[in-house]
Amino acid sequence: MRFEVLLRDVKFPNPVLAASGTFGFGWEFLRVANRLGGVVTKGLTIAPRAGNSPPRIVETASGVVNSVGLENPGVEVFKREILPRLQRVKCPIIVNLAAQSEEEFCELTETLEPTPVAGLELNLSCPNVKEGGVAFGQDARQVEKITRAVRKRTRKLLIVKLTANFVDPKETAKAAAAAGADAVSLINTLFALVLDQDGKPLLGGRTGGLSGPAIKPFALFCVARVARAVKIPVIGMGGIKTGQDAFEFISAGAHLVQVGTANLVRPDGALEVVKGLRRMVRIRGWQGWDDIRGKAGEGCFS
Amino acid sequence: MGQVVAIGRVGAEVYSVWISERKISKKVKPGQFIGVKVPEREDLLLRRPFSVADVKGDKIQIVFRVVGAGTAKLAHSKRGDKWDIIGPLGKPAPLVRNKSVVVCGGGVGAAPLFYLTRVLQEKNRVVVLLGARCAAELVMVSAFRQLGVKVYLTTEDGSKGIKGLVTEALEPVVKVMESPVVYACGPEGMLKALCPLSERVKVWAFFEERMGCGTGVCYGCAVPKKDGGYLRLCQEGPVVSLDEVVL
Repeated sequence: MRFEVLLRDVKFPNPVLAASGTFGFGWEFLRVANRLGGVVTKGLTIAPRAGNSPPRIVETASGVVNSVGLENPGVEVFKREILPRLQRVKCPIIVNLAAQSEEEFCELTETLEPTPVAGLELNLSCPNVKEGGVAFGQDARQVEKITRAVRKRTRKLLIVKLTANFVDPKETAKAAAAAGADAVSLINTLFALVLDQDGKPLLGGRTGGLSGPAIKPFALFCVARVARAVKIPVIGMGGIKTGQDAFEFISAGAHLVQVGTANLVRPDGALEVVKGLRRMVRIRGWQGWDDIRGKAGEGCFS
Repeated sequence: MGQVVAIGRVGAEVYSVWISERKISKKVKPGQFIGVKVPEREDLLLRRPFSVADVKGDKIQIVFRVVGAGTAKLAHSKRGDKWDIIGPLGKPAPLVRNKSVVVCGGGVGAAPLFYLTRVLQEKNRVVVLLGARCAAELVMVSAFRQLGVKVYLTTEDGSKGIKGLVTEALEPVVKVMESPVVYACGPEGMLKALCPLSERVKVWAFFEERMGCGTGVCYGCAVPKKDGGYLRLCQEGPVVSLDEVVL
């Protein structure tokens, strides 16, 4: 069967992408990147960001809580030093954008429009920054406003990354779709608090975002719910580490999936998912992704 | 995949494991580390980072203290067990030549310094200082002695060697040396105590820290730099010039 997935005019060789913040910018593990469906870069801001004070990452039961705080070198260094290295990456590169205002999102978009990256993922869902981030993603009107403003400035594939923290992602996904987004991706990490033995916040940023297998059932629920509510493609993520996991998200209605935390366990974590999916395709004899996509959602949400 | 070829308790809650892993043993340099997945515990997601204590042929040694569920599980491994490991990770420690070198280890922090000492003593004059809270917490003392280097011991309770902190014993040793180079590994408090010294003397600090990926992509193992921003221990370290960071 044809393994690739077409989102508008961007051809992903397979449905498995590396998620933002878990795979660097894409050139670090070139041999892995070149066999993935795509790579979403680490979140990029206009100015360089130092990130939050340590500790920044802690393991919890079947999960990881992080509070990195969008450490990145800024868009100018990205264009000058990182982008040339990305020419060696064969799969589509999606740049994850983070900003504190609509104006900043627009500026980032305009800066990246002439570059050869395949698409943009608007991070309206980072739980680890004081301004912007998740606050945008919790407000459907903000999602619509920012998406619309960015849409006007780019012809690239536009993905809006949504949160499920204290907001119904069905509503924000509808807002993104109405404003012209080509796809939505979800879920970003869940709000999390980890305390130390003295009952004090363990992370330097105090609160963080939970990811990994611990959030998979909730992520699947969200993806199934959103996929039934919008016509644009959904990119599913949350605790995926095997081919079976990816299959489940596609069954819930996802066109593509992203693998995040599993990349921290092994640099080829996302590749393991690709291999697992290939094995399943061979054994189950699917003719196309349409054979399975969304089949789980039927009857789930009436 | 590595295979456990020997495992034993070498101190209070401290274990030594020899793992057969050809690719890593061929490449690993002093200061580098490996990432070990805790077997049979899918709920413990992340790899545990361990500095390599020594290398012999196809085998690498790690020495670690049990601090949680992951290290407890690893300590219960048996000969022949398979471990999912990646490495070598991190940058090798910078090696000097024809220098007076002081190796300073606190507790289980002695372990990562052993491989280094074995390599350094071929081309330098090396003195080793190992400290711990008590005699039972000193590790790898006889191994260091077998290298033929001078080994001084300190314990906080005076149960072995000089009574006091290893960092206190370090000062007079360094003072009588001409442009010495210090390699230190131990708990954060110990490295912190060495910061004033690092302004006069080159101190290479081996950090043993919580990590996410160990491969540079998660930005989890950040340590603040003196000139602003952070460095990633797994990429720019884990051996760092102590005068470059803020503790």
